[in-house]
Amino acid sequence: MSTSFDLDLQTRVDTYLMNLRRCLGELPAEEVNDILREIRGHILERAESAGELTDEKLVAILKALGKPEDIGPLYQAEAMVARARASFSPTLILRTVLRWAMKSVVGFAVFIVGLTGYGMALSFLVSAVMKPIFPDHVGAWLGDGGFSMGMEAPAPLHRTEILGWWIIPIGLVVGTLLLIATTRFLRWMLRFASGRPALAAV
Amino acid sequence: MPDENWRSQLRKGWLELAILATLWDGRLYGLEILRRLENDSDLLVTEGTIYPVLNRLKEDGAVRAEWEEQSDSGHPRKYYSLTAAGRRRTLTMAHESAEFMRQMSGLLGPLLKEERR
Repeated sequence: MSTSFDLDLQTRVDTYLMNLRRCLGELPAEEVNDILREIRGHILERAESAGELTDEKLVAILKALGKPEDIGPLYQAEAMVARARASFSPTLILRTVLRWAMKSVVGFAVFIVGLTGYGMALSFLVSAVMKPIFPDHVGAWLGDGGFSMGMEAPAPLHRTEILGWWIIPIGLVVGTLLLIATTRFLRWMLRFASGRPALAAV
Repeated sequence: MPDENWRSQLRKGWLELAILATLWDGRLYGLEILRRLENDSDLLVTEGTIYPVLNRLKEDGAVRAEWEEQSDSGHPRKYYSLTAAGRRRTLTMAHESAEFMRQMSGLLGPLLKEERR
């Protein structure tokens, strides 16, 4: 560090960076170091161009930069959106869409579609897995003016079970396809929303 | 008066494109981007907000970042530049924004004209 900082001023900068580190939460260590290095550079360069650095000037520099409690969460929110767009984890994607849902109507609609998609995928997969354990209660029933699928205890009396053991491969394939389709849709919507000021409240 | 939340949402919505636009002519580091924004726009309230946006643009692959050790200032600077995908994204956003602004001017023009009278 080339600037000959007063010890008090140095302590103030270090405290700011320490607070920022605390507010960066669960980001990877490498990324945290990168962020702190960049922000430290910002502070030092502003300080250098301020002429003789006084306590007041440093306070003004840090104030213009923003509170660590405000900046830190921004990194987390921005990083979360970026990771969710590139991720295949339904929980991370759904959590990100939920944040979006709380800010805009479009986000809310996307969240509902996502929740329905994952819910249906889950019920297909669960049906496939549960069939060998409860063969009489898992199935797809038709008749009596209706159709139902999944687990029913007791099994519907006036309907015919139509899939038999086929529910296992069908459940696995349809469930997996739904899982992939929903994930792709949500990722696509997250990408679509970015860069459109009207939707960008992600 | 409109509430502060409206203003901050408005700024937030435009910030990404504004940052991308500053990088159109070549690479810049954080403080240079800030200076451009300070000169040309009223987008920033807290300077620190551009860094998380830059971080995300990097993760998105719209910009690339490289550290450079500085002999004159003594501390390293992180330079950002647009990737090919970033240039395409900037252009698309610029076109959509221009169209959006044109529509808004159509809507707001008469109203502002009337107020001036």
